[in-house]
Amino acid sequence: MIELRDVSKTVMSGSEPLTILHPLSIQIPHGEFVAIVGPSGSGKSTLLGLIAGLDAPSSGSVLIDDVDITKLGEDELAKLRGEKVGFVFQFFHLIPSLTAYENVAVPMEIAGVADARPRAERLLEEVGLTGRAHHYPSQLSGGEQQRVALARALANNPKIVLADEPTGNLDTANGRHIMDLLRTIHAGRGTTLVLVTHDAELAAMADARLVLRDGRVVESTLPLHPPVAATPTTASMADARVRPHEAS
Amino acid sequence: MMFVLRMAVRETRASLRRLFFFFICIAVGVAAIVALRSVIQSVRGVFGSEAKSLIAADVLISTNREWTPDARATIDRRLADAGMAERTETIETPTMVRPADRAKVVAKMTELRAVQPRFPLYGSIELQGSQTYSPALLAGHGVLVRPELLTAIDVAVGDEIVIGQAAFTIRGVIVREPGRGMGEFSLGPRVIIAYEDLASTGLLGFGSRARRAMLVKMPEERVEPLVKLLREDFKDDFINTRSFRSTEDQVGRDFDRAENYLSLVGLIIVILGGIAVSSVTRVFILQKIRSIAVLKCLGARSGQIIAVYILQVMTLGLAGSLLGVAMARGVLASIPWMLGSSTSILAQAHYGVSWSASIQGIAIGVLVSLLFSVVPLLHVRFIKPSLLLRDESVRRARDWAGMAVIAVVSLALVALTAWQAASFKVGIVVCLGFAGLAVVLHLAGRALVALIAPMANSRSFPLRHAVLHLSRPGNQTRVILLAVGLGAFFIVGVRSLQASLLDEFSLQVAANAPDMFLLDIQKGQADGVRAFLGDPAHGAGDYQLIPVLRARVVGVAGSETNLEGADEVRQKGASIGREFTITYRDHLEQNERVIQGAFWNSPAADAEVSVEKMIADRARLHVGDTMRFDVLGRIISARVTSIRDVEWRESRNGGFVFVFRPGVLDQAPQTFVTPLKGPEGLAARARFQHDLVERFPNVSIIDFHEVLDTIRDVMSKVTLAITVVGGLVLFSGGLILIGAVAMTKFQRVYEAAVFKTLGANTRTIARMLLLEYGVLGSLAGLIGSLGAIGLTWGVSRYALEIPWRLFAGEHIGGVLLTALLVAVIGVVSSLDVLRNKPLATLRAE
Repeated sequence: MIELRDVSKTVMSGSEPLTILHPLSIQIPHGEFVAIVGPSGSGKSTLLGLIAGLDAPSSGSVLIDDVDITKLGEDELAKLRGEKVGFVFQFFHLIPSLTAYENVAVPMEIAGVADARPRAERLLEEVGLTGRAHHYPSQLSGGEQQRVALARALANNPKIVLADEPTGNLDTANGRHIMDLLRTIHAGRGTTLVLVTHDAELAAMADARLVLRDGRVVESTLPLHPPVAATPTTASMADARVRPHEAS
Repeated sequence: MMFVLRMAVRETRASLRRLFFFFICIAVGVAAIVALRSVIQSVRGVFGSEAKSLIAADVLISTNREWTPDARATIDRRLADAGMAERTETIETPTMVRPADRAKVVAKMTELRAVQPRFPLYGSIELQGSQTYSPALLAGHGVLVRPELLTAIDVAVGDEIVIGQAAFTIRGVIVREPGRGMGEFSLGPRVIIAYEDLASTGLLGFGSRARRAMLVKMPEERVEPLVKLLREDFKDDFINTRSFRSTEDQVGRDFDRAENYLSLVGLIIVILGGIAVSSVTRVFILQKIRSIAVLKCLGARSGQIIAVYILQVMTLGLAGSLLGVAMARGVLASIPWMLGSSTSILAQAHYGVSWSASIQGIAIGVLVSLLFSVVPLLHVRFIKPSLLLRDESVRRARDWAGMAVIAVVSLALVALTAWQAASFKVGIVVCLGFAGLAVVLHLAGRALVALIAPMANSRSFPLRHAVLHLSRPGNQTRVILLAVGLGAFFIVGVRSLQASLLDEFSLQVAANAPDMFLLDIQKGQADGVRAFLGDPAHGAGDYQLIPVLRARVVGVAGSETNLEGADEVRQKGASIGREFTITYRDHLEQNERVIQGAFWNSPAADAEVSVEKMIADRARLHVGDTMRFDVLGRIISARVTSIRDVEWRESRNGGFVFVFRPGVLDQAPQTFVTPLKGPEGLAARARFQHDLVERFPNVSIIDFHEVLDTIRDVMSKVTLAITVVGGLVLFSGGLILIGAVAMTKFQRVYEAAVFKTLGANTRTIARMLLLEYGVLGSLAGLIGSLGAIGLTWGVSRYALEIPWRLFAGEHIGGVLLTALLVAVIGVVSSLDVLRNKPLATLRAE
């Protein structure tokens, strides 16, 4: 279970403090598929980064399986990410100097997994890239790169997969392919999947949604603390599960 | 651990091309260290194996007086006690030699050695052609000569030459003889005759500078006790005893110093390589920021990532070092080829890379790679995985751990330098010096970059951007200025020093300064020589006959210094323990000034002496002190009545430490020396020397023009050696430059693509690059040149004590050549920046 308690994030913009995420508390139960939606600059990626421990909140705490990760040091956080969290980025972020296979194997090697090679091969097979294992990222298409990134995110069999606009940099067909893979993984492995997206269609596939604007939650189907003030949009969000296409 | 190993292998594979220059920089430095150390070790091997033939004996007893019967008796007794196996005697003296053929009007100063049949006891005299040495060659006025003499006085084997008053037939040409050092300064070529023929030359008259030696062969284990006994026996006499071992020790110490000094030079090249490594690593990490963030995102700890890169750096350092050892092997293999048919002792060494030098080189290569990359690698700790989510600059807090690492790295560098120089003090001094130099070059670089900053407002587009590029973020300006500037500094500095020195010597020989020096004029010959020199037909200019005697201080009774006996003077008397050439006169010379007491102007019956200031300071002598001198066995007590300041640079007429008041020494046995202005023109000078020697065969003539040639020759060799070192530094600088260009190319390719998209053509971009590197090269040259001015000023003023002169040609040439070199390297290594198509580049970004 992922739990955020009064988490906020303020950064310095020049010499001025700028709050990119206002205090927020949510709980994401294990195995849930949550979509975080909102326009550019609404704080979606920041929130995702806080959940992954890639970033530290300015206030509040983030608990993963009852462990407060804001109290962990850099190295402990790295260990936690390696074991429990898989991350998929919009811009893939593969390591250009490594082949597809090596990119997938790296998290397992970091964690000291003994059978990294067969597992990496199996994961590439799972994402349909068996024949491309020994290609470098620069030799792969965008869709292929994202599939490698996905295989990498699953390397250590994480309980949580966080995806930051994974289809944002892909054409429609490739985007759909990636989403299908993500859903299959979520369904097949019971992984908690947190997806940041612009795309209402993708958001509609989720079990729950969180809508952000200017760093504040404006709609949510997740348990919130404190609850979002009752607004017409909140009421309409409550029906989001049944009427997904209106969510945009 | 497996992760670290695997990632290191993968990263090395991926960045091999980019880090190639890292590799080469280390290789060049290591090659320098290994080659220099190995050469010295090889040459030393020759000396080690031939230590006995260095002095041609086990024990060498020598004196520059005649052997007294007492001394002979003592030596005979000691040698018999020590179980001597063999002994032989030689006499060496400088003397003039001329062809017997009177049609050839030349004469040449030589170093004569008269030897007995058993000479040499070790080693052998090697002769040209297939001739082998035997004493029979010298029998009946035979002579062996060095090849230089044949050409100098135009004679050949079989011809007769006159030495002193006797004629000798040339029977062979000496290639090598035992007992002659490698770099010893000599007054002229060697000439060997038979011991029994020496008397006939008449060269052993009073005041001759003959050095008599007894060479002894004996059981090795008794050598040191004998040397000790003889030294004790003759502590008050002018008799010197040394063993082959003490010679070997001396040579050994000289070699140690040479080896450590040269290794230090090599180390400086490696450190330059290290600076390049540091800069390459810095840029490398900047380029790797995203990959590092990804690794962190995937669970890698900072320590693991740093370990990956450290392993990579050390692998490259090791590979570079191994390449360096291979390069050194190549260089050493080519030495025999370079020496060709040289007969010098250097040609006899077996040149090879020694294990110890290789291991040291490799250790240094790997260590320097590690030390110089670890600080930039620490930056890895500040790279946050969150930068994958949003662009953010990497912010650094005050980094105590980083500072601690810098401190450890600095200490390690000092230790490394101290290890190479085999002295902690030298290690500290060199490191501080290098750091100081780097800071100065860095500040000079900044000042110059700031100075040309207004050019960024120039109307010329290429010039404007060339100047802007020098201060772009992540620029390599400082590193290039440091490395190239240092190379230029070495070369320009050394070349202007050489020019300065040669100029100084030429000045001294020029104009009306004396340029010839007559030695060993006997008292009875003085009037004859005066008449000869006064005869306008001989063409001599101003001259002066100066009486000289040899004396030794055997006691001081003074206000600060009190010494009793020759032994005490030798041990405690600071700089007055040696033998001095003294004179007497009633006037001060132009280059002298009394700074304490008063100088006499008339003879007196009581002995008075005037002491040179530096010696007086060192031995703490004052006006009023009494000094006792042993002048040819006669003890003279003289009161110090003045202290003189002597301008040694103009000392042709008055370079004496002790000058006596006339009256006491006038009647003592003495000889005369004469500085004079010789005739103009080579032929006239040769004839002058020939005629003088014909009339006065025992008189020696030193021609400063010849000495100047010798000095010029020695200096050009020294300069060549230092220029090679400077060249190596400049070469490393060039490599660093290529590396820096290669590392920052990704930036340039992108910029060039943007410029091309905005309408700049290839020529404009080429001009921009040319200007950028031209300006950079000019700045580096300027820094080197300014540094060289500082260096020559300091060395001229404090070390050589010659007036400082600016050689504009050397400096302007240095700046222009550096600018050209850097411009060419910069543009050539950026060629693909020009070739790249903009669209492909922009898409890739």
